[in-house]
Amino acid sequence: MNKEGTLGLIFLCTGIYGLVLSIQLSMGTWKEPGPGGFPACLSFLLCICGVLGFVGARGKSKGKPRIDRRLASRNLAPPLKIVMVTLGFILSLDKAGYLVASTLYMFVLLFWISRYKWWLSILLALGLGTASWYFFGKVLAVQLPKGVWNLY
Amino acid sequence: MDVLSDCLNGFRIALSLNNLYLCFIGCLWGSIVGVLPGIGPTAGITLLIPVTFGLHPTGAIIMLAGIYYGAMYGGSTTSILMKIPGEAASVVTCIDGYQMTLKGRGGAALFISAWGSWIGGTLSIVGLMFLTPVLADFGTNFGPPEMFGIYLMALILLGSLGREFFKTMPMIIMGMLIGTVGVDAISGVFRFTHGNKDLFDGFGLLPIAMGSLGIGEILSTTGESMVTIVHKIKFRELLPTREELRASVGPIFRGSGLGFIIGFLPGAAHVFSSFASYVLEKRLAKRPKEFGTGRIEGVAGPETANNAATGSAMIPFLGLGVPTGTATAVIMIALLIHGVQPGPLLISEHPDVFWGFVASMYIGNLILLILNLPLVGIFVNLIRIPSRILFPIIILICLVGTYSINFNTFDLFVLLGFGVFGYVFKKLECDIAPLILAVLIGPPLEMAFRQSLMRSAGSFSIFFEKPIALVLIISSGLLLAWNIFRGLRPGKASWEK
Repeated sequence: MNKEGTLGLIFLCTGIYGLVLSIQLSMGTWKEPGPGGFPACLSFLLCICGVLGFVGARGKSKGKPRIDRRLASRNLAPPLKIVMVTLGFILSLDKAGYLVASTLYMFVLLFWISRYKWWLSILLALGLGTASWYFFGKVLAVQLPKGVWNLY
Repeated sequence: MDVLSDCLNGFRIALSLNNLYLCFIGCLWGSIVGVLPGIGPTAGITLLIPVTFGLHPTGAIIMLAGIYYGAMYGGSTTSILMKIPGEAASVVTCIDGYQMTLKGRGGAALFISAWGSWIGGTLSIVGLMFLTPVLADFGTNFGPPEMFGIYLMALILLGSLGREFFKTMPMIIMGMLIGTVGVDAISGVFRFTHGNKDLFDGFGLLPIAMGSLGIGEILSTTGESMVTIVHKIKFRELLPTREELRASVGPIFRGSGLGFIIGFLPGAAHVFSSFASYVLEKRLAKRPKEFGTGRIEGVAGPETANNAATGSAMIPFLGLGVPTGTATAVIMIALLIHGVQPGPLLISEHPDVFWGFVASMYIGNLILLILNLPLVGIFVNLIRIPSRILFPIIILICLVGTYSINFNTFDLFVLLGFGVFGYVFKKLECDIAPLILAVLIGPPLEMAFRQSLMRSAGSFSIFFEKPIALVLIISSGLLLAWNIFRGLRPGKASWEK
């Protein structure tokens, strides 16, 4: 499938999702339009755009670049790693506290993704984690989570 | 005379030590952001929004706007010296700017670029100062039908001026759909929340913007490296010759006018204006074939135009509350967080915010003129910072910044989710910026539509009885039809070609 086809499919799926949920809401009347009318119209339009995009892409697929799946999988690795590590940071933030979570997070990013040496990654992670904790927590007075140990 | 006395009052506010400092920080950060490829002015503004939470709204908008026009100055530095555009509006400057550097005239190109930017920026602020109150006065007479017409026109124009209409319009529709998540302001019913209390107020605008523009951009560019051949410029080489100065005058003033007019258009106005100015100068030149070999006109015009566009882009945003680009959309998000609603009532309800901001733009443009030329060596060396150390810092700033809004980890999931969203759409060659604008404009558009129908007891004639609403809706319809017709015509090349 080419890029246009993929886009059309995304629009179509989003439109169907929106349509299914919005028709469960009240449409109201023309005098008092309900909460379901506007999202239903948008979802319907999105479905049309999705169908047109998907069908049109299939018709024009000759000469259009297809998505090279092997290349796409290889290029997907760094962003996927970043997403996974970031997810881990978000899930551990409340329990571990910001200082610990951010330092670990930075270490993993710098070592695993940026490919710095382990000792440099530790140093940079400690420096950046502490500096960001100080800047946001103390200078800007943002209430950063302290974790279950509540050490700082 | 009222405008001048209000402006003087604005200078009194802008020249306070605190606001001067914030203006300087904004301009400096904007110049840095402009130099670093991959971080555009919008991402630069979103990164600094959390820093503004403890500030007065006047100080916040002064700093954030400083980033916006500062990035236009900074973007030209690497375009001219390294043929690497710092941001999209400086792409066209690479053509002749870099050629001038190769000929040993890079300093002169930087000088003319800085002066042209200052003149274009200053003239557009004069326009902003006089036109915004007029537009705001006009806007106070607008009711829901007129506002519906304006929002509809803005979205259709955004779609028309996007890369491809049939990709941009669905993104706009999707953005409006995302904007419906949360409690419906009229009926109080929850829409698309699935019982999740964190979604009762909808998706946060800041996580959406930071995620799709900041995180999305990082996910897309991770691993890319830059060739960093830096041409060094000596201070004495900054001065242009008399001939170069004479040749720049016309392009600078034409660029100012063209940039100011194009700045009103939704979408990437500062990008369009720089390209339009280049095309215009090439058409007017006695020897157009020399463009691309290092003509000063190819630098003076575009750089002036993109700075002139930043001033006029603020006019619909401040006067009517309609952001026309992602940078103004993000500044609007920041103002909303501070409890200031841009629109027809901004000048009357918050005159200190508006006039302090206008005055600070004059000061900021002057700061940038003074800052950019002597510090060009430092700015250019910033590009040597490896992206593999920059991206973790930027992600962390995005995460902490988002967390500091509501101290809720759900916002971080939204940030990450929209980051993935932005990455996916970038890989599919689909611009995410219209979606963000639509998330912002969609809810007031729906509100205006429903209020119009409620006022008219369900009759659509209300949209045709008001002349302004009628003109806007018909124009939007014609523009939509034209775009559909143009897109469906067989064998038609895209408008970019």
